[in-house]
Amino acid sequence: MSNEHDGDKYIREDAVPLPPNDADVFTTGCDYCVAGCGYKVFRWPVSDENGGAKASENALGVDIPAPTLSGNWISPSMHNIVTADGEKQHVIVLPDPGMRHINKGGDHSIRGGCIAQKCYNPDTPTRDRLQYPRLRVNGKLERISWDDATEIMAQVSRYVLDEFGVHAWGMKTFSYEFWENTYAITKLAFRSVKTPCYSPHNQPGPGGDAIGLRDVGIDKFSASYDDWGSARVLFCSGTDPYETKTMIFNEYIKPAIDSGRQKVIYALPRATAGVAYAEKNGGLWLDLFPGTDTILHMAIIRIILENAWEDDKFIAKYTNNKWDTDSSFGQGTQNTPSQWQTTWGTFRVKDFDDYKKWVLSQKWAELDAASKVTGVSKEKILKAAEMLAKPVNERRPKASFGLEKGNYWSNNYTNSTSFACLGLVCGAGNRPGQMISSFGGHQRGELSAGGHPGAESPEKVNGGRTRPIDLDRWMVEGNLRFAWVIGTTWIQAMAGSVDLDNAFKRMTIEQASQITSTDVSSAVAALKKRIDDGGMMVVNSDIYPVAPIGTEYSDIVLPASGWGEHDFTRANGERRMRVFQGFYDAPGESKPDWWAVAQFAQKMGFEGYEWKDSNEVFEESARFSRGGRTDFYPIVWKAKKDGKKGHDLLSAYGTNGIQGPVRYEYEGLVGTKRLHDSTLTVPTPQGPTVVTKAQYAFDSHTGKANFIKSPWEIFGDFFDFIRPQGEELWVTNGRINEIWQSGFDDVLRRPYITERWPDNFLEIHPEDAAERGIESGDEVLCTSDRVPVQMGSGLVAEGSDLSFTGLQKKGLIKLTEARVPAVAVVTPAIKKGVTFMNFLRKTAAANALVPRVPDPISNRYRFKLGVAFVKKTGESEYKNDLNRMSFAPRTIS
Amino acid sequence: MTEKSIKKIEPAMKALPCLSRRSFLLAGTSATVVLAVGCAGISFREGTALKVVEYPRKRIASLKGIQAHEPIHFSYPEEGAAYDSFLVQLDGAAAGGVGVDDSIVAFNGTCTHMGGPLSGQYRSEHAVVGPCPLHLTTFDLRKHGMVVSGHGTETLPQVKLEIENGEIYATAVMGLIYGLDRNTVLERD
Repeated sequence: MSNEHDGDKYIREDAVPLPPNDADVFTTGCDYCVAGCGYKVFRWPVSDENGGAKASENALGVDIPAPTLSGNWISPSMHNIVTADGEKQHVIVLPDPGMRHINKGGDHSIRGGCIAQKCYNPDTPTRDRLQYPRLRVNGKLERISWDDATEIMAQVSRYVLDEFGVHAWGMKTFSYEFWENTYAITKLAFRSVKTPCYSPHNQPGPGGDAIGLRDVGIDKFSASYDDWGSARVLFCSGTDPYETKTMIFNEYIKPAIDSGRQKVIYALPRATAGVAYAEKNGGLWLDLFPGTDTILHMAIIRIILENAWEDDKFIAKYTNNKWDTDSSFGQGTQNTPSQWQTTWGTFRVKDFDDYKKWVLSQKWAELDAASKVTGVSKEKILKAAEMLAKPVNERRPKASFGLEKGNYWSNNYTNSTSFACLGLVCGAGNRPGQMISSFGGHQRGELSAGGHPGAESPEKVNGGRTRPIDLDRWMVEGNLRFAWVIGTTWIQAMAGSVDLDNAFKRMTIEQASQITSTDVSSAVAALKKRIDDGGMMVVNSDIYPVAPIGTEYSDIVLPASGWGEHDFTRANGERRMRVFQGFYDAPGESKPDWWAVAQFAQKMGFEGYEWKDSNEVFEESARFSRGGRTDFYPIVWKAKKDGKKGHDLLSAYGTNGIQGPVRYEYEGLVGTKRLHDSTLTVPTPQGPTVVTKAQYAFDSHTGKANFIKSPWEIFGDFFDFIRPQGEELWVTNGRINEIWQSGFDDVLRRPYITERWPDNFLEIHPEDAAERGIESGDEVLCTSDRVPVQMGSGLVAEGSDLSFTGLQKKGLIKLTEARVPAVAVVTPAIKKGVTFMNFLRKTAAANALVPRVPDPISNRYRFKLGVAFVKKTGESEYKNDLNRMSFAPRTIS
Repeated sequence: MTEKSIKKIEPAMKALPCLSRRSFLLAGTSATVVLAVGCAGISFREGTALKVVEYPRKRIASLKGIQAHEPIHFSYPEEGAAYDSFLVQLDGAAAGGVGVDDSIVAFNGTCTHMGGPLSGQYRSEHAVVGPCPLHLTTFDLRKHGMVVSGHGTETLPQVKLEIENGEIYATAVMGLIYGLDRNTVLERD
């Protein structure tokens, strides 16, 4: 094991240049996690004089030394040299000390604090940025023109659509890298090509990620960050915000803990710094086995109900009674999209009493059984129920509930519904400090230019109903002839990735017909031949060469430009919208994805792709945001009225931005702090304003929340199969603080971070380690020969066939093998029986061990449920290295 | 801190009065010394490159007076809060360590995230300093002050130590100290 960029070392710089008073200033946001911190950029030519150490002599207006917490210290990692306006210039990308929200006062994570290193600079490891379109000729990527690249793509696409139809033409793309790009991408896929073969980067098909919340009537991003801070009890499910949305912890949760106002309950199998700090300060760590959240939630709910601690006033006023429930022909329990698919009656209750009766009848909700399956002690479960709901001096605790992928990526539907119902029982969901939401992973940069043509999905169930496509399965089974992959590592990012990798190989480089010339007609002829033979053409748009899809399998690689190189927009996890301004020149011929989409679309003869700049895309896209959680149409409407550009008006809101949905009121723009806000009053809608029910009530047919059953049996057969057998251990996975996504910026091209994490790691409990003779720093191998993969695309199935047992009976579960190496970190911070590794190390993908059998209700993967034998294979080069990879615990408090 | 201001960053080090012969030889006319692969001792082994910037040598303590896990506080390379540093003897070898088993190391005592004070946050069991009381960053003292967990965008600046006749001297710093744009007024015009 060794890193891809071993030649680049982290140099501990001893100085930074200070920006002079006349430096150009830009505003942007961090490109990484959902928190979306605000940043300021200072830029000045290297030929100019730097600023001085007195406040009057530098653009920060600060006397050096910058005081503690001033937000005005420029660390060497915040400095870079770029080309801007054709000239070498210094840039300082500084967490904005003027932030009143998110990263207040210039706080920052280790990810964002180093983001200046993201900028292209040929003297740094960013030197391998893709700069020119390339065509794979005789196995080697040769430079071609944008015109030829999009011509080849268009000719082949036209052939595929004519000969094989829209089901053979697919896209797999990021869903977050700015509205301008995702709007253009979805306009192409849904409105021009009209293909159902589309899937965002993190799931096998289109649609919501935690639809259990939706079915309860809750928008996944309804809370404001202030709600996390003002709760007296905060229930964090499946994540430690300290690690993965750091400012939510630093600036909202920690101050609340420190002031004695808040206790935090964490439900996840692994402790990190936030968990340790919470425990030290009266909080609780519910150390459950992966995938067992449903039972934990039900057990807590049962204790609350048995003690009559539920918030009966809230329940009576804000949740559906039996008349409300029966009145629905919209999105109520009777008719949720999930119900509609396969499962009449499985989840529906008439009202709270009906739900209560159901919970009390569930053997899994009994304390003994729940403790056994979840691995959480009975005392802790009881304590959690008390903390969340037991009145003190006749006052109910004010509790908020935040979840993330440890919850809904282990057992999607019932984990998220039971989580939401726990919140409802405690009176949360629609008021300050008492909210139920996702904390979020990536920022909210998806903007669909039209509905996904779901009716065209090849997945059918009985009754003629369709289910959203599982694009992975569809591709693996050889149905795609053309695939355009934009800004995502399709293979390693999805589940059962060895099988996926083999399918890509089979469909591309192992095909007989390969391109042998840069000549357009010759390349098109070779690709058509391959397609006739059953193969596939692959196009990969990205900023770097992505292994293996870009480096080995793609026929065309398109160079993308992105953050810092153009003006872009998107929202963070509390719907806070900002413009991310461009401040330096994109390298070579790299172009934003909306531009690449437009070139291709025009070659295809599609209309409506004549955008000149990203502001034009932004303005066109605005109307598709109407009525949604990030409705920004009033911004563009007002900008036009005022004779301004949409981007310019939003830019005026700076790094603090404005929270969607935006309303136009009395000549001004008003943001929305939280959704479902029972304290919200709005005037009669004015101008372009859309006031939706979701803004002031739950997002259901009645505006009241639904209780939804969460039967363990829906998942239990799969859980019994996947849980570790014999000597196996859980190999769960997740993000860590220092690394964003696949590490394309930090691990691969930031020597500071590479020194910390030169290789993938596996956290293992001391007792599990001792049984296997493993010490910190040892090289280990995780192996499994039973990674289940679901087969059978496009089959018409009975609902019951879609259960794991049903799939097994029909012979639609194939077992595959995977081997993932890592470096052991022995720590009691991981639950015994469970191990943990970073989720997307490209060279050792944790997802190779992860089942590719989506939740039958929601079509979402159970990414967290990897299982393997773990054995020592030797000592890693880091074990006795005093320079790389720390093995000290991350839970010191 | 100086009243003078810098005009340019690159040549600033030339004014340094304390160039050692070795650093001069290694770096030619520049005073910044990048000690690469295997030049000297355990801290400079393969896999890392350390920019060691030398400042006026300062006596910190006697070797005899060091007790394991008892930090000794001092200022380096200048006086003032920004320069608060600590020396500590760990269990076993540390990168850049001197003395018995290369176990004595010294670091600046201000967190590289937002300037929180790390004084009193030494954790002997894990050879870690932290968590910083502000935002909980921890640094690994065995590994050149690497961030173990948290938000520092630089390692904790390490003070280079040398032993001569039983006395421990600070001679150089690796990394930029929180709050500063350069580590010493000597670097300014």
